[in-house]
Amino acid sequence: MGYVAVEAGEDVIQRAEELFEKQRVVGESDQISVEQVGEQFSRLTAQAMSEGGLYAPRLAAIAVKQAQGDTAEAAFLLRAYRSTLERWGTSVPVETAEVFTTRRVSPAYKDVPGGQVLGATKDYTQRLLDFELIDDDGTDPTGDWDVEAEDPPRLRNVMEVLREDGLVYDPERDPDRDDDASSGAGTEPFDATREPITFPAPRSAVLQELARGETGAVTALGYSELRGYGQVHPTLGEVRTGDLPVTIEHPYTGDEVEVTTAAVTETECVVPIYEKSDDPQFSFGYGLVFGRNERKTIGMSILDAAIQLDGEGAAQDAEFVLDVVDGIDSFGFIEHLKLPHYVTFQSILDRIRSIRERSAAAADETDPAPQEVGADD
Amino acid sequence: MLAACDAETLVAHADAVVEGGTEVRILQAPTPQLVMQQVVEPVARQLFNLGEVLVTAAEVELDGEKGFAMRSGKAEKPALSGAVVDAAIESDHPRTAEMVASLSATATERERERRERWGETRETTVEFEEMEDHT
Repeated sequence: MGYVAVEAGEDVIQRAEELFEKQRVVGESDQISVEQVGEQFSRLTAQAMSEGGLYAPRLAAIAVKQAQGDTAEAAFLLRAYRSTLERWGTSVPVETAEVFTTRRVSPAYKDVPGGQVLGATKDYTQRLLDFELIDDDGTDPTGDWDVEAEDPPRLRNVMEVLREDGLVYDPERDPDRDDDASSGAGTEPFDATREPITFPAPRSAVLQELARGETGAVTALGYSELRGYGQVHPTLGEVRTGDLPVTIEHPYTGDEVEVTTAAVTETECVVPIYEKSDDPQFSFGYGLVFGRNERKTIGMSILDAAIQLDGEGAAQDAEFVLDVVDGIDSFGFIEHLKLPHYVTFQSILDRIRSIRERSAAAADETDPAPQEVGADD
Repeated sequence: MLAACDAETLVAHADAVVEGGTEVRILQAPTPQLVMQQVVEPVARQLFNLGEVLVTAAEVELDGEKGFAMRSGKAEKPALSGAVVDAAIESDHPRTAEMVASLSATATERERERRERWGETRETTVEFEEMEDHT
């Protein structure tokens, strides 16, 4: 079934849009500034950037304001803007060990090298509604801290510890590892923004698509593994947040130059499923996203591990996961259903009426079996 | 440090260079562009594209020297100013010492902020204790 265009008065569409805008401004409170959105709703802007695949904090704040807090719409706005821009180039590949860490906890090791650094979190407090925020005066609760400045250390990744003990995959010791596009390192990674993914997909494509997947979808699909629809029930090596350096090669000098940083969240998980029966090791999964979004990186690490296992579970099927995980794709397709489908629906009605008429005519002579009708647009 | 220097300082330096009569030729007008951030995943060392970062880059030529700057976000004027400052320093412009001092101050301030931020973060370091004896 094809699509049939419809038209309506542009002035009426304009009025509907104006009514939408009125919802944002009609209240008695002051208008929220883009700066306020960026500073006070950073989780919203982080989600929009992560799902939009574009790190641009100020534009994300504009997008969130424009979308009235709808992160899927904000991500769409960012991706649409991104599509109008040229690409300057690619960054110098960065090791996440270079992240300036603002939080690092390890659920796997109590005495992790460098310590358990909680950072800014409410993970260990009760989730009670805070009515004092109604009269919030913006007082900084850390204002009386006696902080001693110190050079930030390099916090060793827990996976390094496991690798040293031979408990997790070590690419340096893998005699079968090749450097083709399906194994990754040493070659240009797949770029899902430039070419459609075909299956079996290289792991670089899987990681890129999961990194810009919709948070709820990544969480739900990862959760399906935990709920018994798969084999992955991981232990997290660590969860980390921080600032990732964005480094380019200077076009004149060839020197590597840090031009900015991007806030990121990172998770590694280990899975007690042995990769090799003769030399038991943990399987693993990896998650990294723009902004602060720990549930998404945890979900991403589960899905990465699940897809690498390539089992029977829904979340272990790369094609299924990557087909449904992108928020722009899914909300576009889901929401298009509310747009006019009058011709499609009329056609279905015609078919049903025709079948019913034929059935009624035949009923006088025989007892026909019921017929099914369907529509596919 | 051209990327990290505050926009007002960069613009002020560039304006001073231009107002001093130095001719600036724009080689690449400041335009918002994308840098694809590539990351090496730390376990299997898999290289992948995390996502794109919005930047604004500009290139100029000044007294026979080229200048380049890239700023984060949509920042046309700071990027162009940065390129002018870069070329001016390369061409040993009379304001070079002042501009270099500004950039050095930026580097010092950035380092101070990083040390302070880590100092705050370190205040949340905790030792978890197991509440049951598993031995």
